[in-house]
Formats: sequence, structure tokens, C-alpha cells
Amino acid sequence: MIGRRISQTRAWNAGRRWLCPYMSSAPCPIPAAAPTEECGRHFSSYAKAPFSLTNNPVNFYIPYVVQRCQFSSNAVADLPMEGTVDVPLAQTGEGIAECELLKWFVQEGDKVEEFQPLCEVQSDKATIEITSRYQGRVSHILHVPGSIVKVGETLVKMAVEETQVPSVIPNNLEKEKPVDAKLNKYSTGGVLSTPAVRSLAKEHDIDINDVQGSGKDGRVLKEDVLKYAMQKGVIKDPSVTATATATVGELLHGEESCSYGSAEVAGLYEDTIVPLRGFQRTMVKTMSMAAKVPHFHYVEEINCDALAELKASFQTNNTEPGIKFTFLPILIKSLSMALSKYPMMNSCFNEESLEVILRGSHNIGIAMATPYGLVVPNIKNVQSLSILEITKELSRLQQLALDNKLSPADISGGTITLSNIGAIGGKFGAPILNLPEVAIIAIGRIQKLPQFTDDGNVYPASIMTG
Amino acid sequence: MPIPQTRNIGLPMMNLLRFKGLPILQQLHIEEQLLRTSSENWCIINDGTNDPTIVMGVSGKPAELLEIESVLRDQVPVIRRFTGGGTVIVDCGTIFATFICNKEAVPDLQPYPRPIMSWSSLLYGKVFQGIGDFHLRENDYVFGNHKFGGNAQSITKSRWIHHTSFLWDFDVRNMTYLKLPKRAPEYRSARGHLDFICCMKDYMPRSTFINKTVEATGTQFSLRSYPLEAIETGSETEFYPSTRFLTDEELEAAAAAGQ
Repeated sequence: MIGRRISQTRAWNAGRRWLCPYMSSAPCPIPAAAPTEECGRHFSSYAKAPFSLTNNPVNFYIPYVVQRCQFSSNAVADLPMEGTVDVPLAQTGEGIAECELLKWFVQEGDKVEEFQPLCEVQSDKATIEITSRYQGRVSHILHVPGSIVKVGETLVKMAVEETQVPSVIPNNLEKEKPVDAKLNKYSTGGVLSTPAVRSLAKEHDIDINDVQGSGKDGRVLKEDVLKYAMQKGVIKDPSVTATATATVGELLHGEESCSYGSAEVAGLYEDTIVPLRGFQRTMVKTMSMAAKVPHFHYVEEINCDALAELKASFQTNNTEPGIKFTFLPILIKSLSMALSKYPMMNSCFNEESLEVILRGSHNIGIAMATPYGLVVPNIKNVQSLSILEITKELSRLQQLALDNKLSPADISGGTITLSNIGAIGGKFGAPILNLPEVAIIAIGRIQKLPQFTDDGNVYPASIMTG
Repeated sequence: MPIPQTRNIGLPMMNLLRFKGLPILQQLHIEEQLLRTSSENWCIINDGTNDPTIVMGVSGKPAELLEIESVLRDQVPVIRRFTGGGTVIVDCGTIFATFICNKEAVPDLQPYPRPIMSWSSLLYGKVFQGIGDFHLRENDYVFGNHKFGGNAQSITKSRWIHHTSFLWDFDVRNMTYLKLPKRAPEYRSARGHLDFICCMKDYMPRSTFINKTVEATGTQFSLRSYPLEAIETGSETEFYPSTRFLTDEELEAAAAAGQ
């Protein structure tokens, strides 16, 4: 089954779109210069000079680490419920120790969206826009334009709502120290946890230090507290996280008046609220966006006898012990060969400019279900890899995915996705595009099915639906 | 739009703009506009600008960088551009080459100053292969330890620009308008301008350099020539560039304040 985005290329038009947010800042009192006649056009201009902020500074803290791409992430962390976060000047390149702050794009009190530019800094030869990791409100701007800010120093403080999580899968990165430091701050008596989890423990009269943490570095998670509480007999059903609203009394006695049952009894019949966090939250957003794209579905049954033979021959002629041969690497390589013939399927779509960018590398993403959620790491440059190399790389990514240790590079830069529904026993699925890719392939389980020859005889064949 | 060559299928698209003698202010305005409002990739080449002009980086301080008295006396125009970096004086002997790209345009390129600088040096490395011991030294393009090309960048949320002014030739007298900067690369070792820079004309003809640059760019991008009329007439001025001339008054004030 192939889902594909239908698109058309369009020549760049001469219309201008103004994506520049910084124009909203107030100009400073230095007189604007009129350009000379030489350029033959009138551009109104404004002076680019330091301007002072008038609002009161506010302090917020965000654990903020700039990674290679915007889709990097910090370790799974339930950030403080009422977050005030420090936004430091993140590392903008090796060896750069400090930058000059050039201008702010926001003022104190401004609401800020994720990835919205906050300010512009200069280091050596480059001016760099610093964007916000989180959604929130600017509370305290700590430096004025013209000042030199050291890498790591706080630039601005922001108020962050609730548990804001990064765009993609949390994983362990070298740069996650700041986040860990934040968690340490909230641990008293040595147990790593967050205020939300601590208050949950308190609710159930549990000493959090008694709870065995299953998170990273022995961090105590919500599930740990609930499990502990269940073991202790404090609550019956560990999946209950919301307050009870249903009444058992009504059901048992048929009375109209509401009475609140005990947690034990109420746990059997009340609603359960499962707040979506992390992966699931991200998946809702990305899938909703993908669902808006017009999808074209094509399903076919494919005779895989030759494929089965090839796999069998790899296994018998296996020169590398410890390598398990499956169908997937062969399918991945076949896909790459097909992409060389049909490069339009290996492209990405730029919605703003209505352009299709034909990607040079075949970075084939493989959807993987892990205990942490669905991840799609990709194998880079499949066009240059042998099936053996693909097998090894696939195995490496699978292991990292299971350990929740995929790096940003592993999960970004994909050009097409392969989803193996067959691995979990399905025959065929209707996959959703992994934007901004234009095609996704779902392959089902290979089954032995009866086929007919032209003269009506039945023979068995390995059939896969895709 | 020309039909792309077969070998180009799979490469990201890039528009190629070629100018000759375009005033540097106009070039910078176009660049700033394309960086901030376009979502396409661009390569801009300007073969020389018209009048000698001083171009300072976004946060350059005139009193530190310029001999303001001479500048005012000789009425040399001074521009503050939108990218970082140092001060240059450009004229008809300067060749400009600019890349404006989306962050994903170059696969696996991290959108930070050093990686972009490295990437550019690899591209120009192809242009100067086997010629004059070309390499990137700190942030400059050098032959040996003499600078012939200066770089500046601006990195935004989703795009970046890397532009270079190449000294194909220069007028020795023009260099006297510039002071020795406080912040200088280590390898300069306090050399004066004339001991520190060199001309590209001793190594390569102008047209060869430009053609080779276009060729090298074409190995990574699918280039298509963009009609100049579309750029020049398309200025509906919804966009206000920040690059501008500094007025005499501003220069005088800077000189007086000693900054």
C-alpha cells in the first residue's frame, strides 16, 4: 500500500512574503537615514542600533540546549508544572565562547511560540537567530543589545506552561546535562523526581524515597508511584489517575443523590483521564497535520517467491555469524533501486513555495514500534549500501530504538518511509505520510496463498500485500 | 525554466543570479530580502561593483574600523550590512559570491557558522584545486597565508546566508581608509593590510573563477538561471532591509564620540 502526496511544481513567483518578525520591535530614536540616489529606489530604512527595554524584567528558566537540528530533544522529563525557565545562550559552534547580542525580537510579556525567533546574536562572522525551544511568555530579558554574552549565560527568562515536551522522541544525548541538573534541583533526599510526581506520592501518603524509580538514572516516574501504591494496597487500579466523579452509590442503591465512593470502589467504574504526553502528544500533532494532506492509496499483492529464495540463500551462505537475515533489508535495497528509477517518490514537498525537492540521497525510514512509542529512524544513503551493510545498520538502529537512544541524526533527514505492518501480524494497512515526505509504503505479512495458473491449476505462492 | 540534465535529478534546486557592476547596496538589499522572504535556494554572483564603497559588519564601530576623517573628506560611502563579520572596501575589482540556502538544502550540514564555513571552503576548494595553496584559514580564504576572500554569514530560524567578497584586484590607496581592526584573526599577526592580503588576479582570470564557481555549485545543486528583470522590478517594498548607508552626521558623531 503506497500513500502518496499529489503535488505540482510551480515556478517561484515574484511576490514577496514577509516572514520577518523583527519588524514588530519599536525603532529607536536615532534618525533614519535616507538612502542615496545611487541605488535608484527608495527603501525606507530604520536605524539599527541598540534600543532599551522599558518593561520590567521577569525571571524564567528553560533547560535549553541547541542541537544539530530543531528536532533534537532532551531526556524525558516532566518539567515543573509552573515552569520558569532560563534560556541560556546555547553553543553555536565549537570554540565560540561568547557572542554579541544584536537585537531582541520579543519584549517582556510577549507570548512566544515554539521555534519563534527570540533574538539575534553575532559571533565572529555570523549573525545567528536564537529560537525558542518552548511555548511560553517572556518574563525577563537579561541583556541589552550591544552586550557580550558568554555561551551558557542566561539570555532571557521565560514562563513555560505545564509539561512542555520536545517535538520528537526523547533520547539520551550528550548535551542533556542541563536537563538532568534541573531534575536534580527538584530532588530532595536523593530521589530524582519532579514536583508533579512528588505531589502524587504525597496524595497517596507515600514516601517517595521508598519508591523504586524505573526512569533514567533511577528517576521515579508517575507509573512507579502508582505501582508502589497498588502494591501497598493504597489504590486498587493503577491506571486511575483522575479524581473520581462517578458514583457507585447510585448504581448500587439506585439513588439520585451523588455520594463519593472510596477510591477503591470508585476505581472500578469511574472515568480515567490519560493525558497525552511525549510521543503520543507529538504523534497526535504530526498525524493530524499529515491527515490534512491529500493521500493517494495504491494496494497490490506481490509474489515473493523469489524474495524467499534470496533470503534462504543468504542464510545458507551466511559468512557473518550473528547476523540474522530477514526480508526487510532486501526490501529496503529494492526500494532504493526503484527510487533511482522514480526519483519523484524520493522527494519532499515545500508547502510554502509549492515546490517539490527531489532528494539526492535515499534515506529510507523504517517505522519501529518501541515501548516508548512509534519511531522512524532512517538508514542514510541506501543507494550506496549493500544488503549486508543495510542489515547491520538496521540492526543498529533497532537496538538504539529499543534502548531509547536514537540520536537526532538517526531520526532526521529521511526521504521516504517503510512501515512493516507484517511484523505485528497485519496483512495491510493504510499508512499516513511522514511529512514532509511524499510517499510511504506499508508492507504486510508474507503469507502462503493459493494462486491459479492460466490453465486453472492451483499452486502455493508467497504473497505479500503492500 | 530549462529542462534539468539527467545528472541533476535528485539535487536540490538553486536559483542563479548573475550581476556585473551592481551597486553593493542593491546587492545587499536583494540578499537580505531573499534570505528573509524567499523559501528557495540562491546563488548570487556580482562581478565587480561600481564605486568604491566601505562595507562594515552589522555591529561594526566606525571609529574603531575606519579613518573617518579621510572617509568624510573623500566622501567614500559607508554601508552597514545585515550580516556579521568585519570591514571591507569594495570596488570594481571585487567579485562577490553569495549562497542563500534553506537549512535542509545541504544534507547533513549543521546550520552553524563553522560547518557552513567549512562547507563553503570545500566548494571553493574545487574551484582552486591545485592553485596557489588555497584553504580556509580561520574565517578567511587564503592563498598560503595571504587573505583574498572575506566571509560573513547570517543564520536565521530556517535559512542561512554565506557571502564572500573576493579581492580579484584592489587599489592599494583604498586600503588606507581602513584601520587595523581590534579583532583580527590570529594568523594575521598584526600585519598591515598590504602585507596581509593578496589578489586573485595573480592566480586566475575573472571569468574562469566565476565559471568554476558556478560549476562547483552545480555539483551540489540543480542550478537554474533566474531572470534579472524579475528581481529588479519585483520590489514592492513590503520588505524593509536593514542594510543602509551611514550618513555623514553619523560618521562625524562616531568620530567625536571616539567609538
